[in-house]
Amino acid sequence: MKVELFHAPGCSRCTAAREDLKAAATAARADVEWREVNALDEMDYAVERGVLSLPSIVIDGELVFSALPSPQQLRAALLRRPAVRS
Amino acid sequence: MLTIGKLAALAEISADALRYYEEEGLISPADRSASGYRLYDQECVRRIRFIKQAQHCGFTLAEIRELLTLRGSDRACCDDVRTKAIEKKLQLEHKIKAMKSVSKALDRLIADCTRKGRPVAECTILAAFEQTGEKVH
Repeated sequence: MKVELFHAPGCSRCTAAREDLKAAATAARADVEWREVNALDEMDYAVERGVLSLPSIVIDGELVFSALPSPQQLRAALLRRPAVRS
Repeated sequence: MLTIGKLAALAEISADALRYYEEEGLISPADRSASGYRLYDQECVRRIRFIKQAQHCGFTLAEIRELLTLRGSDRACCDDVRTKAIEKKLQLEHKIKAMKSVSKALDRLIADCTRKGRPVAECTILAAFEQTGEKVH
């Protein structure tokens, strides 16, 4: 499962939350592939994914959080999703 | 101190726009004259210049209010403003993408319409707009 955190370098909200969210995501599911995306470097990709505000979280290509979730909210969102078979 | 008329002339906006900015909490008169007229100082002039520049970059008045709050906050830093600018760019890029999609849809409709000089009843563009439950593009 691909979890992408879209952020801007220097965004204080992003920096503060990043480690907690990453820890919550990887603890919730073993198949999590965590990626941090600099929205400024990958503007076209961010637009393609529907990202309008920072930070945002996209799970398997779907914009799930357009505002910062709590680690618990992210965990719940990940557990609701079916496992991807390889 | 400047009256509303003088400030409006200096800032090249209408007095109504200035009153609207005041209603929206973006500016406020520094003082009132003895007869109750609004009086503005140089800070108001700077704020209006700021508002106009930010509007030119696509920020809404609500967003400009946030920027003005950041501008006056000791706890805010340059990165906070930069993030707002990046978010605005994301929103603009979304709009550009949507407009390009609309433009392509019009290209297709124009290309499909080869019946020059035919009655409007046979117009494929009008027919496409009348289709229900189906997107043109």
